[in-house]
Amino acid sequence: MNSFTAVLRKDLLLEVRGGQSTVALGALSLLVLVVLVFAFNPGGGEQGAEAAAGALWVALVFSGMLGATRAVSAESENGCIRALLISPLDRAALYAAKLAAAFIFMAVAEAASIVLMVLFFNLEFDARVMRLVPAVLLGALGFAALATLLAGISSRLRGGDLVLPLLAVPMFVPALIAGVKASAAALGGAPMGEFAVWLKVLVAFDVMFVAAGYLLFEYVAGEE
Amino acid sequence: MSGRGVRLGLGLVTGALMLVALYMVFVYVPTEADQGIVQRIFYFHVPCAWVAFVSFALVAIAGIFYLWLGQQVWDDLGYAAAETGMVFCTLVLVTGSIWAKPIWGAWWTWDSRLTTTLILWLLYGGYLMLRAMAGDSEQGARFGAVVGIVAAIDVPIVIVSVRLWRTIHPAVLVTRQGGHGLEDPRMVATLLVSLAAFTALFIWILCLRFVTLRMHTRLGALARSLALAEAAAQDS
Amino acid sequence: MTAALIEARALGKSFGPTPVLRDVNLSVEAGRGAAVVGANGAGKSTLIRLLAGLSAPSPGAAMLFGEPARSLEPALRRRVGLLSHQSFLYPNLTARENLEFYATLYGVEGVRAAAIEWLERVALGAAADARVRGFSRGMEQRLALARAMLARPDVLMLDEPFAALDADGAALAAALVREAMDRGCAVLASAHSAAALEELGFAVLTLSRGKLLRAEPSAMRQSAARASLARQVS
Repeated sequence: MNSFTAVLRKDLLLEVRGGQSTVALGALSLLVLVVLVFAFNPGGGEQGAEAAAGALWVALVFSGMLGATRAVSAESENGCIRALLISPLDRAALYAAKLAAAFIFMAVAEAASIVLMVLFFNLEFDARVMRLVPAVLLGALGFAALATLLAGISSRLRGGDLVLPLLAVPMFVPALIAGVKASAAALGGAPMGEFAVWLKVLVAFDVMFVAAGYLLFEYVAGEE
Repeated sequence: MSGRGVRLGLGLVTGALMLVALYMVFVYVPTEADQGIVQRIFYFHVPCAWVAFVSFALVAIAGIFYLWLGQQVWDDLGYAAAETGMVFCTLVLVTGSIWAKPIWGAWWTWDSRLTTTLILWLLYGGYLMLRAMAGDSEQGARFGAVVGIVAAIDVPIVIVSVRLWRTIHPAVLVTRQGGHGLEDPRMVATLLVSLAAFTALFIWILCLRFVTLRMHTRLGALARSLALAEAAAQDS
Repeated sequence: MTAALIEARALGKSFGPTPVLRDVNLSVEAGRGAAVVGANGAGKSTLIRLLAGLSAPSPGAAMLFGEPARSLEPALRRRVGLLSHQSFLYPNLTARENLEFYATLYGVEGVRAAAIEWLERVALGAAADARVRGFSRGMEQRLALARAMLARPDVLMLDEPFAALDADGAALAAALVREAMDRGCAVLASAHSAAALEELGFAVLTLSRGKLLRAEPSAMRQSAARASLARQVS
């Protein structure tokens, strides 16, 4: 078993043991969706699809911030992060493992969100909802990459919980735009061309931010 | 001190360029056909935007050098660029808003350029809040460098995605129905002079801020040396 | 004359303007031990952090295996063990799982067997599958010691190794440290008082107001005598 797998397996084991992260993320997504239903009071049809897409992505962003914070702060009890830093573990492998953990938490929460979205916004469980899945997964990956890097920073600062959303949200805007547009296109039954354009933006975003996180995480994780 | 001389020189050049630019904007250049007098704000709005984006790139480049070489001077430069750039970015948003109201009847429009500038402004703000929270430490400098680099990587994709999302920003000028770009050579000249004046202003303010941060760094080093000397004196 | 495995050269560290360590010079060769003694807040933990590569020296050099500790390559990191006053243990994992995790990270052959072996050695065999969250301080300390030593490091740095240990636990710890030194490990340990470490043959250094001072010559002779007596008896 290599180091990346060891760290990821440990994080998932801790989660199953009662980490409660996926539950918390699911609950947060649920609450966000409820609030947005009251906020938008959606009708059916075209307008309903747009509102549903937007609500789904708001839930993704909020639960994503929680997920990344949790994945990173799993190492802060008992100073475990220091043990990881002096071990032979490669910093980039540590980033990859944290990213994978955050992504998995988010993916589970997103699955729940999609189901809830269909229920709350009076949609159908059909092929259009299936087309959402690649957009949501790409968005979750991009946000996880971004937020894991930033959570590495915010977890080291007193009162740093403000820093993560403050930086993550503007940085995520391109993927948010692309994701909402792609989701609205999917739900509204739009032609593949438009959908594909937005997916390409998401892919570009993911590539850039995973690469950036991979290269820069060692500067974030090093001790003072 | 040659440093002081350079700053004074920069200040004088800036002042001169500004005076010329102000004259050109308010007296020399003709009033634009469709938008009227309000359109003159364009000659402030665009140079501020140019400066805001350049400064952002500077923060990222300084961040790269800081992480690579580990020298505090690069962090001082990056921080100074962030603070200065923030000011100009705010001006872009304010002038954009003042321009928008009489022309489009709304204080804010979500067109692609203004939206991108808003995102830039939020990124600047995040950077500055981070630095304030991290305080005066090596860790703060390192985090700032990372954030500056990531934010700069983000900007191109923000531009692309926002443009795909929206485009109702007017073509640079509309001098006649469906017109495109700057028609009158006097307008081109005014824009170029204004650009030069604002660039000079930016460089001058950046230098002032940078020098202040350098002094702060040196003071820190002196305080450390003093504390060490005091401790050594107490040994004997 | 073997090369020093742990070395500090003119090492200094300040937090803000306050100097915590000043011009610290120290070297520990294979099979030898150095004990750093000092009051709380004297800088013992800072010194160990610098030598472990967790903190950057300003100025001076902190070296392990002749390389700067801060930028040690993975092959050398594998040979370093650290015991801190933070346990480095995951509370929701069992003792066995904690050791297996670290054994995997350190590339130990036979991860399962190594975990079991070390649990036995620190007398935690019975608690192997209990979660660390429920452990007493003494049990945690013993498990943390096992964690630090299970990869059979060539450099061992122990921040207050006998803290929270009762007489049996302390004896166990001492035996493990002795064994490590016998197989050529260089050990640096910090403590409030030097007694237990002197008996293991450690050279005693005092950290006072940021400077490292050797113990008095007569005390050194005494500790050397005691150490050789201890070896003869055992």
